[in-house]
Amino acid sequence: MSTSAAGPGSAVPVAVVPKAGSGPTPAVIESVNVTIDGKPHQFPKGTNLLEACNQVGANVPFFCYHAGLSSPAVCRQCLVDVKGQPKPVPSCYTPVADKMEVTTASPRVLDVRRQMLEFTLLNHPIDCPICDKAGECTLQKHYFDWDAKFARNDGIKVHKDKVVDIGKHIVLDQERCILCTRCIRVCDEVAKTHELEMANRGDHEVLTTAPGHRLDNPYSLNTVDVCPVGALTAKDFRFAMRAWELSSTPSVCPGCATGCNVEIHTARGHVYRLVPRINQAVNKHWMCDEGRFTYKALHAERLAAPRIGNSPTDWDRALEEAGKKLRAALDADASKVGVLFSAQTTNEDLYLLERLAFEHLRVGKAYLAGRDQGWHDDILVSADKNPNTAGAIAIGAGRLKNLMDLANDLRSGAISALLVLGAEGVLVGESAAAAMPVDRLSALVVIGTHTDLLVDSAHVALPLAAWAEVDGTFTNRLGMVQRIRAALPPAGDALPGWEIVTHLARRLGVTLDFSTPKAVFTEAKQKLAFMKDAEWGRAMLPVQLRFAGSRG
Amino acid sequence: MDQSIAPSSRRVVLGVSEPTDDALDAPDLPTEPMPLNMGPSHPAMHGTVRMVLDVEGEKITSADVQIGYLHRCFEKESESATWTQVFPYTDRLNYVSPMLNNVGYAMAVEKLLGIDKQVPERAQYIRVLVGEMSRITDHMTCLGAGAMELGAFTAFLYMLKAREWFYELLEEVSGARLTHSYMRIGGVCDDLTPDFVPRLTDILKRSRVVLEDVSKLLDRNRIFRDRMDGIAIITREEAIAWSLTGPVARSAGLAYDVRKDHPYLVYDRFDFDVPIGSVGDNFDRYAVRVEEMKQSMRILEQAMEQLPGGPVVVNDPRITLPPKSETYNSIEAMIAHFKIIMDGIHVPPGEVYSFTEGGNGELGFYLVSDGTGRPWKCRVRPPCFPAVQIMMKLLPGLFLADVVPTFGMMNMIGGECDR
Repeated sequence: MSTSAAGPGSAVPVAVVPKAGSGPTPAVIESVNVTIDGKPHQFPKGTNLLEACNQVGANVPFFCYHAGLSSPAVCRQCLVDVKGQPKPVPSCYTPVADKMEVTTASPRVLDVRRQMLEFTLLNHPIDCPICDKAGECTLQKHYFDWDAKFARNDGIKVHKDKVVDIGKHIVLDQERCILCTRCIRVCDEVAKTHELEMANRGDHEVLTTAPGHRLDNPYSLNTVDVCPVGALTAKDFRFAMRAWELSSTPSVCPGCATGCNVEIHTARGHVYRLVPRINQAVNKHWMCDEGRFTYKALHAERLAAPRIGNSPTDWDRALEEAGKKLRAALDADASKVGVLFSAQTTNEDLYLLERLAFEHLRVGKAYLAGRDQGWHDDILVSADKNPNTAGAIAIGAGRLKNLMDLANDLRSGAISALLVLGAEGVLVGESAAAAMPVDRLSALVVIGTHTDLLVDSAHVALPLAAWAEVDGTFTNRLGMVQRIRAALPPAGDALPGWEIVTHLARRLGVTLDFSTPKAVFTEAKQKLAFMKDAEWGRAMLPVQLRFAGSRG
Repeated sequence: MDQSIAPSSRRVVLGVSEPTDDALDAPDLPTEPMPLNMGPSHPAMHGTVRMVLDVEGEKITSADVQIGYLHRCFEKESESATWTQVFPYTDRLNYVSPMLNNVGYAMAVEKLLGIDKQVPERAQYIRVLVGEMSRITDHMTCLGAGAMELGAFTAFLYMLKAREWFYELLEEVSGARLTHSYMRIGGVCDDLTPDFVPRLTDILKRSRVVLEDVSKLLDRNRIFRDRMDGIAIITREEAIAWSLTGPVARSAGLAYDVRKDHPYLVYDRFDFDVPIGSVGDNFDRYAVRVEEMKQSMRILEQAMEQLPGGPVVVNDPRITLPPKSETYNSIEAMIAHFKIIMDGIHVPPGEVYSFTEGGNGELGFYLVSDGTGRPWKCRVRPPCFPAVQIMMKLLPGLFLADVVPTFGMMNMIGGECDR
């Protein structure tokens, strides 16, 4: 039985939307004058020189530097000439200073850069055809942009271990590693664990786990993202798909209330991975391992066609039947009709269902369902495992009761009919049915994404498009309304929730006239205070990674 | 411009048309206007093109030439192919002289890359050699088919026989008989075969005989001359006004040849003439092409004589695929190979118009790069497009039967015209 008493409804007051980048005005920061490649620029004091150069389009390459991590200056790719300095300086390790004169591509700098790449490639295995990183590899990119000379050395390469199982999700290839230490810093600075380290010296230096440890922190897959080459590969993505075949759609992770910004990487109607998308206000550069696997559910046990009883049917018949059942129950006693909202569905779905239930049908009972609470930390993971609890609570405006109340009402016979939009987490496990006797209902209409116990018990089940298949918005635990985008066509005959609600409304004699999710959003934005500042954003096609160039 | 008429481009009879037979134009035959549809698939028309003619009796009063039946989205397709992957598409522009399209496109990209001066000399000579061979096959196809459509089947077979010799040699060099894709950005994909020069010498010798034979069959042939002389005359002014280039413009007296007027590759090192016509009728277009083949043979002989040794493609891992032995054995070459195949050659942002002398005239490529491995825009100036356009003006007033030789001598190539 999983009617979480605490439930998704217990938490999260709806906060004022903090806009990204608009914190309290910082104290006036001194700015310094820097000349980069002959042109004068101004930067706030303390700006990293590498960032300063690249901000003004200088294109200084780097392996070891990462905007979300500290700078160790080990890769020597970002060396630039600073007037007055005897040697090129690592720009990732140098703050800008007043009257600094920087040359980012002097012959000396280019030469050093090329020589460093030559050293890096000296022992690099000839793995591109079988390497998962090929196509989005920083080493490939930098070689092509900055070296482009054939090998001068045909000696035997130093061999290291090629398949080291270092963690639950990750395989290490020590030969491919270019020793940039980004992954070590991810563990040190993001996950605050310290599993990875360097061992040995010179061309025998290898990345390895600390003795007796495995790379098993909850943020381990970020090491794969930051790896500039194919040294760290995700077991889940390894050999599954070539990177350049993928298309990227910006969206939001549905795994918990944090709402980490992600890119959904798809190919031919299949999701292959989720990777974090930078949002300094939410997740910075990172996301948790658990969130990455939320895509798996998109392709498993989906409710693909409408059902009456347990027999598949078409949309027309199913809607007709659902309308008839609900109409009969409403006519008998509207106060005994219940509607179950879900914290898994978008603001748009919730808003239309709210209008249908309260404004038009005037149902007597409304509940909020969602996944159970789970583990959490103070890095990214929330205890609330639903992406849109804040939105559901705001739209419900105090009228939604929790699943415990639903169970009580079912047992006492206080409700006779139930309309469910988003069934996840309602009936979980063998004993659930006894605690929540849905078989006593005269009408149970379930709009759901997956075939679960509740769908199996429904008189009419309607297939709902899942989060990666719809356009809409989620409201995260900070009250930020974030846009999700359709990366896939809906599974089978499934339709987006808002659209199913409009169809169902028509069968119940109610007109909810919307033809796009944007239209629903626009109206909701006018009516709902928490969506006041939300933006729908521009329409966009998925970006083919092949055309987007290297992600590294 | 070089206005000199090649000494050998003599005319058997210049600009004399037959006296009109008054009886044919007699007004006593009652006729009424009739729309007539020729094409898009018509046995006497090479190329898929539709002509909607208004005829009164046998006489054409208006002609609407409709193109586009062979539209293959060449320009749009190119935008999703890497710069190198466009070569096979260019093969299918003018598919009777694919090498010339290859050369034209390669030179446009090289100009944009700024490596047009670095293309090795041997590669430039090879481009001239295969290009001029292609020009000969182009003209042979045009003239042979044109003669066949007028009933001269023997001339057609002779021409195609000789054309096949050229095709065989091109196949030996490039691996494909028709769609060669032999050029690469920065040179050519492989060196000539060792016996290329002796074989081409032999082919030229035999082809000259074929040209003589065909000349004997056609030049003084009463049927052929009657259908060609004085038909569809284009003046020099019209040729300029309608943007005509190539053999069609030259037959109208406009001595414009890109090879002479804007020499590219190593064309300035060869002694050759640009034949021009004096009447601008169908026979002139035939005669100019015959002479151009002879001039191409002169170029070929000189090019074979001067052919230098050396590499056939620029030596830059960013532009040229490394040799396979390097690719499999060094990570540097492996990455270069991978990036050129998967990302494409990185052409700096900018735009370029580059033009060469194609089989039908000025073949232009207007390319725009946004700095990625693919063309942002790849526009072709197809030389036969203006030639097809002027048909609308030429045909009215002619007899229905004149459509066939006139269209034949314009040498519309659907692949090039419709793209």
